[in-house]
Amino acid sequence: MSEAPTGRSLGLLVCLQCRATVRALQVTYPRCPRCYAHLYQRKPHSLAATAALLVCAAILYIPANLLPVMYTRTIFDDEQDTIMSGVLVLLHSSWPIAVLVFIASIVVPLLKIISLGVVVFSTWRRSSRFRTQRSELFRLVEFIGRWSMLDVYAITLLVALVQIRSLAFVSVGWGALAFAAVVVLTTFAARTFAERLLWESPP
Amino acid sequence: MAPTSGTRCSRCRAPLQRPENGNIDTAIALAVCALVLFFLSNAYPLVTIQVNGTTRATTLLGAASGLYTQGHAGLASLVFITTVLGPFLQIAGLLYLLLPLRRAREAPGQNTIFRLLAQVRPWTFVEVFMLGVLVALVRLSAYARVVPGVALWSCGLLMLTLAALTSRTTPGQFWRWVDGGRAGE
Repeated sequence: MSEAPTGRSLGLLVCLQCRATVRALQVTYPRCPRCYAHLYQRKPHSLAATAALLVCAAILYIPANLLPVMYTRTIFDDEQDTIMSGVLVLLHSSWPIAVLVFIASIVVPLLKIISLGVVVFSTWRRSSRFRTQRSELFRLVEFIGRWSMLDVYAITLLVALVQIRSLAFVSVGWGALAFAAVVVLTTFAARTFAERLLWESPP
Repeated sequence: MAPTSGTRCSRCRAPLQRPENGNIDTAIALAVCALVLFFLSNAYPLVTIQVNGTTRATTLLGAASGLYTQGHAGLASLVFITTVLGPFLQIAGLLYLLLPLRRAREAPGQNTIFRLLAQVRPWTFVEVFMLGVLVALVRLSAYARVVPGVALWSCGLLMLTLAALTSRTTPGQFWRWVDGGRAGE
């Protein structure tokens, strides 16, 4: 692979807001001449912030899967559903939807936490192996992450609709909050990560 | 570099942004269309269910407020932000910026507002919400008769319009329009 000159080696900065290419000036707090945003060589404190958000998300992933996300009270019985038991219920009515929910709410968050962890750890070590693959992995994670919110919306709608006092009553469990927090935290983690750090040469 | 489509970065293989030259009128038309669909999606019920002669309907806002009344303010605000506030801010903000820009003027606070819009953009989950509704309906269809409402269809159209609007108002494109206006002064 040919090594193209980098912006840094040419003394150039790219504005993180409006993507204008700016000549780096030797002032303390440079600002973009086009949109007046602060200019940085790299997003500040990127690696530490991403790692912190990721650790929180990994911890919350446990209650998100163990605590019930939904309680159903009918005239016959009381039931509580975790994310996984919800998938099993769906399996009876429509298996393609069940597979979809399983992937979106169980596989994707786990994969997201693991692969962001790999990307952050290897960037911290300044590893130069598989950089292109890690870059592509990061972009994939950023793209699919939002789909994990699927179950939260489904529960929201069930709660709003199934409020027929004498027959059936659905309420939300704390697992849903933990689950939503995992999605939000991993989204923030992916956004604070500066992809360019991946390409910094080893010391 | 030649403006061919499908050019990729030689280092990380990410698709490179082509020099864009979109029409600002198309973007404004899409934004107006999205605004109308947004109001339809909020004014009419999303779905109605019928069980044993009892009928129950919900709107988009009703879904979020249902969570709130059950004591889950955090979840309710998350749903509210990602399905109502996010899309609205994005549509209204873009109209506020694009309408003056069309006449080569700049709206007051343009730079700050566009920067804020870039922060709001990743938090509009209309397409995920649509799929979530589908999942809920599949679960319910075993117990109740489910009737899709007007808002369900307009929400689906809103999802497509927002996607078209977002891809036509990337930061690169927006600042190109601003630069065009500044050059003409």
